[in-house]
Amino acid sequence: MHPLQHQTRRHFFSRCSVGLGSIALSSLMAAPAPKMRNPLEPKKTHFPAKAKNVIFLFMAGGPSQLDLFEHKPQLTKLNGKPIPESYTAGKRFAFMDSSHRSDLLASRRSFKQYGQSGAWVSDLLPHTASIVDDISIVTTCKTDLFNHAPAKLYMNTGSGLFGRPSMGSWVTYGLGSECEDLPGFVVLQSGPRGPRGGSVLWGSGVLPTTYQGVPLRNQGDPIVNLSTPSQITPTQQRQVVDSVRELNLKHLVETGDDEIATRINAYEMAYRMQTSAPELMDTSDESQATLDLYGIKDPKETSFARNCLLARRLVERGVRFVQLYDTNWDHHGGPTENLEKHLPPKCLDIDQASAALVKDLKQRGLLDDTIVIWGGEFGRTPMGEVRESTGRNHHIDAFTMWFAGGGFKRGTVYGQTDEFGFGPVENPVHVHDIHATLLHQLGLDHERLSVRSQGLDFRLTGVDPAHVVKGILA
Amino acid sequence: MPPPKSHKPPLSPTQRSILKTWIEQGAKYERHWSFEPPKPSPGSSIDSFIQDRLAQENLSPSPAASPATLIRRVSLDLTGLPPTPEEVAAFLADPSDQAYSKLVDRLLQSPHYGERWGRWWLDQARYADSNGYSIDAPRQIWKFRDWVIDALNADMPFDQFTIEQLAGDLLPNASESQKIATGFHRNTQINQEGGIDKEQFRIDSVFDRVATTGTVWLGLSIGCAQCHDHKFDPIEQKEYYQLFAFFNNQDEPTLKIFDQNLDVRELTQEFKQLETRIKAFIKDHASELDAWEAGLTPAIKKSLASSLTKILAIPKNERSFAQTQSLFAASVGGVGTFRELNDRYKEIDTLLNQGVTTLVMKELPKPRKTTVFIKGDFTRPADEVTPGTPGVLHPFKSTPHQPNRLDLAKWIVSPENPLTARVIVNRIWQQYFGRGLVETENDFGMQGTTPSHPELLDWLATELLAKKWSLKDIHRLIVTSNTYRQSSSNRPDLREKDPGNYLLARQSRLRLDAEVVRDVALSASGLLAPQIGGPPVYPPIPDGVMGQGQVKRTWTVSKGADRYRRGLYTFIYRASPPPTLTVFDAPEGFTTCTRRIRSNTPLQALTLMNDSGFFEFATALEKIIQSESLDAAFRRCTSRPPHPDELAILQKLDPLTAARTLLNLDETVTRE
Repeated sequence: MHPLQHQTRRHFFSRCSVGLGSIALSSLMAAPAPKMRNPLEPKKTHFPAKAKNVIFLFMAGGPSQLDLFEHKPQLTKLNGKPIPESYTAGKRFAFMDSSHRSDLLASRRSFKQYGQSGAWVSDLLPHTASIVDDISIVTTCKTDLFNHAPAKLYMNTGSGLFGRPSMGSWVTYGLGSECEDLPGFVVLQSGPRGPRGGSVLWGSGVLPTTYQGVPLRNQGDPIVNLSTPSQITPTQQRQVVDSVRELNLKHLVETGDDEIATRINAYEMAYRMQTSAPELMDTSDESQATLDLYGIKDPKETSFARNCLLARRLVERGVRFVQLYDTNWDHHGGPTENLEKHLPPKCLDIDQASAALVKDLKQRGLLDDTIVIWGGEFGRTPMGEVRESTGRNHHIDAFTMWFAGGGFKRGTVYGQTDEFGFGPVENPVHVHDIHATLLHQLGLDHERLSVRSQGLDFRLTGVDPAHVVKGILA
Repeated sequence: MPPPKSHKPPLSPTQRSILKTWIEQGAKYERHWSFEPPKPSPGSSIDSFIQDRLAQENLSPSPAASPATLIRRVSLDLTGLPPTPEEVAAFLADPSDQAYSKLVDRLLQSPHYGERWGRWWLDQARYADSNGYSIDAPRQIWKFRDWVIDALNADMPFDQFTIEQLAGDLLPNASESQKIATGFHRNTQINQEGGIDKEQFRIDSVFDRVATTGTVWLGLSIGCAQCHDHKFDPIEQKEYYQLFAFFNNQDEPTLKIFDQNLDVRELTQEFKQLETRIKAFIKDHASELDAWEAGLTPAIKKSLASSLTKILAIPKNERSFAQTQSLFAASVGGVGTFRELNDRYKEIDTLLNQGVTTLVMKELPKPRKTTVFIKGDFTRPADEVTPGTPGVLHPFKSTPHQPNRLDLAKWIVSPENPLTARVIVNRIWQQYFGRGLVETENDFGMQGTTPSHPELLDWLATELLAKKWSLKDIHRLIVTSNTYRQSSSNRPDLREKDPGNYLLARQSRLRLDAEVVRDVALSASGLLAPQIGGPPVYPPIPDGVMGQGQVKRTWTVSKGADRYRRGLYTFIYRASPPPTLTVFDAPEGFTTCTRRIRSNTPLQALTLMNDSGFFEFATALEKIIQSESLDAAFRRCTSRPPHPDELAILQKLDPLTAARTLLNLDETVTRE
């Protein structure tokens, strides 16, 4: 028997929950070797991988590293004094024409050192403080763009322009998926609104839409159009899938078009998703201890904590890339987003759950294979912003992110910023370096993972040189 | 030798000696093929080029597709709609060449042709109905969409089509329609986020206009020269900014469009006169109003409309004209002369001030200064440049004035231009065969692929010029060829020798475009509302999809016929586009899209099975099964009768399940 034909037959016997009609099967055997293509089939890596999955906890808006991780006594001492001009000459900032100011603003938080690594963490993140020996904290992250939507795109796609593939798309394109009944790239959201930029943040750009992120929603259908219409019984739905397959199979034999085989596969996966996605979302099989670990009060209610738990469940099921967005981290000052009143509850929303995710993955033996990333699109200025109450402007020269699992070093603080935390004095880490490092841990060479469009070989890391940050790898 | 920066090893002595021998053997320096003018091949035809090449490879073309397949194919390709069962029956009764050629003529005359090929162009124009970026507020620019549909239906020659879109406003005595056409380059995004540097985003939109013009008309990745000299094509960074200079001198106004039957000037005059007369009338009868106001008891006041009580709360001398006018009309002016004046005033107000608007281009009286930007960074201006075109292409004729967009547009459609005609026929070809003769349809430069059939490409390009840029003539040439009319079924010999179907020994099966997936389901279920043009519509979308971006937009589902309009009329928010379209790869309008991806995913299956819109179509098709027959419903979906074994499968199902099955068939969403 032709090997492809063999594969096809085995495919049908193994994956189809309802047997094929004998007519269809016999005609398939006579068919000219149609190839069953699944674009999400696991693929070979460029070199052996350290990690298989990624969970990116995205703090949308830009968390203030100076009130969370960067302890700067000099900033406190010179509170209210103008920042020396040598720091800011020639720089552009957001809100240049209105509220941007150049007076330094001390942090009102108290900082302590934690763990073996002695990492500084403020009183706003007590749970994160408890995992510092499991994570790599990078204080010298740099980006190029200082407005929200372009900077979010930059962090996600390596470019400030719309229409480029997001990193989750790149990763599923490069590695395929190990999950046969859920999408390979899943997005979860919490916070009062969607992130600025919307669905392009998880878009597939010039890559096929097979690789785009699929938002899992906490209300209504977890996936758009997942539920069978209410008037339809499960038997009728299965009948549709079966008869569509039978008729498509006949047509496949007639035309010899592999795309029909791909479509048959797609219907099977869609049908499986109808069961597996609600199962995933139903957390009633989780113990009270687990819910308590994450700080989930009501498991039915949307929260960042519940999304962290779902992220673990997704990774357990082989989903390649999970991205969580939590919005409203834009603490400029003013009545709704200031450092005094609004940063603390935001930290309360995410601190325990982020740390719990790392602990939970670790205790289940999943952390070695899974990279957890925490961060936003940029950080915030050492200078205060004059609105009605204190806040900080967008800042792109140095901000903090942390990485855990998947071959990243445990218990390290990487990079050194100046006395005000304005810019790096050693080991700057550009967004493209973060991307290169991430791909490297997944066994992908960022220079070889490319796709051609409009005359360019598009890469996640763009055209300027990017470097794998060896200093944060175990 | 590779430049040192590339870190590539130098050529080996063997490699060098090969190059040397090659030169000694008489290797000629030749310019890149696409920069040379197309070579004519008189007396040829599409089929002769294709068949000669197949003969060289010892391959034979495929037989013609069945008449039923053919009428469905050509109807979908030319109008984006399947044939009606009656049209199929008529063609099957006489599938002769003459009947086919009549069919093609009828389809080219159909107003739906403009919709089908309009969408092809709108992809390239990156058309959508919102401003993009994070705020993504809705915008009105659908007049441009209708302009494209109308222009294509009228078979406006492609050179004129180009000139009006790039520079319609600069034509002598530019008509309203020619101004609307300039909306092409207003389809860029507008960032309304707080704290931005406006100039940065204005320049970003100019960058986009340069790149889009280069890609759409020249098939060149000119945008690559924004930050540095082009790495592969002979385009210098300075030349990029010379092109940039053409697009740097615009104001970006909104054009108000009035009902064509209105005499705006006369109405405006009448409006002003009425205002004067109303003012005078109120002044003359001020005492009456005073008396009325004085007589208002609290009880009467309570019974008044809230808009009036608000006005009454304002001191008399602080009220605006409109406020006094409303008050007067509601009290003492309710009858007689004032009423007549006031009603007419309001009528004209409505006519003049509630029109449609659209985004257009307008040249600034004084051009902006344009410079090269170092590394494409607008904060780093360098040498000043004036408008000009890349030196590698045909010469730009000098003008007595500083060259503007009109001069650029004329340069683009000059018969000396080696690229535009090739690029356009290639992009038309791609729609019919799934791939262009040049596979990299957006890159005819050094990094692009060479044409699979170079003589055929040149022949089509010269035909386009010979036929005075008539796109309909090119469509007719292609769809009447035997190459187009072949069966799309794969063959064992082709599977082996030409698995990618580059040689075209058969047609290709192509999954329908997103909008057409909807249009076919609407047609099959008999629900389609076929009217053409007008404001975008809001068919049902799944719950919750509008809340993904920063600002949650409302989506009030259209009532009546607008619920069942063709897919290209659905309102597109760039940041949260309708999932039923994007799941089938409809572009979101961020950048020009010259070729759609054709993905094949489980989410498409979920859409066709479960989306409330498609479910509604299925219930309508169910009624057709009940009132007519299963056979009829099958024909409405596939344009062919079912085989007995197919019918047997469907007959086992209840009518609704059968209807849903039919709308989910691969064949229903595919052009064969």
